[in-house]
Amino acid sequence: MTSTLLSLANIEKRFGELRAVNGVSLDIRENEFFALLGASGSGKTTLLRMLAGFDMPSSGHILLDGHDISQVPPNHRPVNLMFQSYALFPHMTVAQNIAYGLEMEKLPRTEINERVDEMLSTIQLTHLAERKPEQLSGGQRQRVALGRALVKRPRLLLLDEPLGALDKKLRGEMQLELKHIQNTFGITFIVVTHDQEEALVMADRIAILKDGELLQCGSPHEIYEYPVNRFAADFIGVMNFLPARVDSGALRAVNGSRIAAPLPADLKPGDNALAAVRPERLRLGVADADNCLNGRISAMAYHGLDLHLHLETPVSPHPVMVRLTADAAEGHPFSVGEEVSVGWSARDTRVFTA
Amino acid sequence: MTDRKPVYLMTPALAWLTAFMVVPCLLILALAFFRRGIYGGIVYEFTLSNIALVFDPLYARIFLKSAGIAGLAATIAVVIGYAAAYAIASMPRKRQPILLFFAVLPFWSNYLVRTYAWIVLLNREGLIVSLARAVGFDGDLPQMLYTETAVVIGLVYNYLPFVILACYAPLSRLNPEIHEASRDLGASEWTTFRRVTLPMTVPGIATGFVFVFVLSIGNFVTPALLGGGQFQMIGNLIYDQFLTANDWPFGAALSMFLIAIMMGLLTLQTFASEKASGQQRAEVSDD
Repeated sequence: MTSTLLSLANIEKRFGELRAVNGVSLDIRENEFFALLGASGSGKTTLLRMLAGFDMPSSGHILLDGHDISQVPPNHRPVNLMFQSYALFPHMTVAQNIAYGLEMEKLPRTEINERVDEMLSTIQLTHLAERKPEQLSGGQRQRVALGRALVKRPRLLLLDEPLGALDKKLRGEMQLELKHIQNTFGITFIVVTHDQEEALVMADRIAILKDGELLQCGSPHEIYEYPVNRFAADFIGVMNFLPARVDSGALRAVNGSRIAAPLPADLKPGDNALAAVRPERLRLGVADADNCLNGRISAMAYHGLDLHLHLETPVSPHPVMVRLTADAAEGHPFSVGEEVSVGWSARDTRVFTA
Repeated sequence: MTDRKPVYLMTPALAWLTAFMVVPCLLILALAFFRRGIYGGIVYEFTLSNIALVFDPLYARIFLKSAGIAGLAATIAVVIGYAAAYAIASMPRKRQPILLFFAVLPFWSNYLVRTYAWIVLLNREGLIVSLARAVGFDGDLPQMLYTETAVVIGLVYNYLPFVILACYAPLSRLNPEIHEASRDLGASEWTTFRRVTLPMTVPGIATGFVFVFVLSIGNFVTPALLGGGQFQMIGNLIYDQFLTANDWPFGAALSMFLIAIMMGLLTLQTFASEKASGQQRAEVSDD
């Protein structure tokens, strides 16, 4: 196991009455690709600004390599930020933008030139070194912003919504490229994003923030498969929630039918609960399934790779989403209004306190 | 339909300017190429002697002197105005309009009244002298009114609001993340100002400088009132040719050179800010 690079200890940030970040504690490891995931207003940007040094925490400590940097100004932190707007210097060329941070370190000119050239070839912009930012495409500007921060070889690189401004196709390519660059340079990356797919694809670990608090922190697999509560479950991906009640060691849906699922220890008979199952865990037919459900198709959406069915069921006020792979849907000419039966296994069911 | 621009809407303004500004100006300038009559008036006989006279050391010196005073006033106004604009642009967004309003407030009062106010201040028995006496200073105070310094002070004071507005525009448009990026890359506040903020706001500085310079070099009210006729600026010289010496052709020749200098500077400034606003646009489209 690698060592801890960055420790957030009970970080709190208040703006007047508002608690933008409320008691967040996190450990981020050396060489980790870490994602801070949250909706707008979740406090993720405030947290990032405190890591960069633009804001100081109201209380709590930020330890980098064991040193408290909470009050250190941004120009004295071995931390760099890639801005969401890229914030390139419009009056400087690509090469000058990249050299800027090295000039601030007062390195000899020959070393600066070497490192700039090296970075230009890493981000594949050698041929555009003398261009001004206004003459570049969005993707090229993004690479300059990345190169300008990376060339300083920071202990920690912060990326604020790095792919937000790119179109969908380019975003996919850049997700892999960022991961590759992170691997090559061996620098710890912290990405702030509201895009869960981006977090799932790129990050080694994800922290979900909601209303300034840490909901859950774990690997993409843990986050997706084992959400700690219904907010975390609702936040990532699509989840079907079935209202239920605990009844002497068993879970019963609103229509009284039994839901087979592992029950958390803290649920007592009489408690309200929510059973949750992901759309892709539901299968056609009920043979050998632990749970089964009959419903009427209220809507369908064909996505090429898979087919989404919305079912009206007696167990939930909301339509139950079913996601069938192209294979599973093969040979079933579904139509709206048709009755279907779906089943799922107990181990794919999560149960949360309502 | 859609690509037909409503050019005709410009017609009244163009007609007005042509009839009452361009044509009269050209008529006056044309006088530069005629001879002056012995008792004033104009003899319609082509000559270049008026143009040649402009380059006479006596008048060339007045041109240089005027440029020197205008340049000094513009430099001082830019330093003071930029600092003020920087401070205003750093305030919370909500408070900026009211601060700008106060900065521009003197502008809405009469130019003459404002200039006379300076006479009251700089007078031998004026406010500044009285104040110095009141705090116990009883040595010799230098003459303040009717000096070059008084003229420069008057010009700076009068045109300062221009500079504040001209510098405020690019300063307030700066993306705050650019400033933060510089800090993040290891620059101190001062280095950030020197290498990022200042270069990016040069167009505002240039606009402010050119405005003050152009308005100052042709000014004749301030030199007359605060300079007390001790020395002439080019504006006073032109004024005298037309109204006192009755030498319209030479007055026209001087005006021609003054207009040429102004046009040259304004053109340069327009190109500079056009180039810079291209950069600004590119910056804005990043968001």
